Amino acid sequence: MNITGNDTYFEDFEVGQRIKHARGTTIDEVENQMLTKLVMNTASGHWNEHAMKDTPFGSRLVFGFITASMVIGLATQDTGENAVKELGFDKIRFKKPVFHGDTVYAYTEVLDMKSTQDGGIITFKHWGVNQKEEVVFEGERRVLLKKHPVGNAS
Amino acid sequence: MQAKGPFVSDPDFSTFKPWRRGNRFEDFEVGQVFTHHWGRTLTAGDATLFASVAHRYCPLYLNAEYAKSEGHDDLVVDPLLVLATAIGLSVEDLSEAGGPFLGVNQVEFEAPLYPGDTLTCVSEVLEKRESESRPNTGIVTWRTTGSKQDGQVVVRYSRTNLVVKQGRGA
Repeated sequence: MNITGNDTYFEDFEVGQRIKHARGTTIDEVENQMLTKLVMNTASGHWNEHAMKDTPFGSRLVFGFITASMVIGLATQDTGENAVKELGFDKIRFKKPVFHGDTVYAYTEVLDMKSTQDGGIITFKHWGVNQKEEVVFEGERRVLLKKHPVGNAS
Repeated sequence: MQAKGPFVSDPDFSTFKPWRRGNRFEDFEVGQVFTHHWGRTLTAGDATLFASVAHRYCPLYLNAEYAKSEGHDDLVVDPLLVLATAIGLSVEDLSEAGGPFLGVNQVEFEAPLYPGDTLTCVSEVLEKRESESRPNTGIVTWRTTGSKQDGQVVVRYSRTNLVVKQGRGA
């Protein structure tokens, strides 16, 4: 078995392709608390259950970029395993709050593909959808993917 | 303050002065620059913890031998960790006082970060305006730049939040 899959190179995608990724994930309290503090986000909306009880949310919120990272993470084996590098993101939106214990699923559409000398740049649109089928996150992501090594075309 | 029984009573905590953190809408001016606090050295432990928990299963972020075979000196720190840390370091100055994200745009990763590199961040206020639908808040957009210890820019992005006005929110 190779280190990375043989079906996740640049040429394996096509514009308009839509993917529901295989795995969903429940964002547990320990994950959000640990990662939000790891990245030193000091907002008490993510830290203080007691203070959040009296707000319309009623509970601590998962930091948006932990949600984004988890959702893009669910899409990474399929859309980034053979990356040369991540180039950037755009139009990142958080459309609903995410709470500890919510489950998210990842959906992706291929928006654009551009072949380059050292591989190919794909613009993906990713969506994160919760257990109530509400979009909680969406955003575009540009990745430079490798092309199939010569003699390895699928 | 009167002692109760054999023990000295606790002080009256309501007399302690709250230490205010975070800026309100009125505190921002277009063109104002914030050099954010602390900085953060991202270690191999941080990078592999983040990439593992977020299931960022690209071996560039989790397999140092693979990353070296791809021309890197070490693991590549997951750019999503770099971005989340840049935002984290900017929260006290920009958004801790309250108000949700409206959007993050034009995120560009300009160079890889490796374990042991230190990220610091600076933001400039690009735009501020009143919120028509929510008079207790305004809308502020910042452009943030994250750099490593040698001055190399590693990430740039714009972010827009609702920001509470004075006397409102946390």
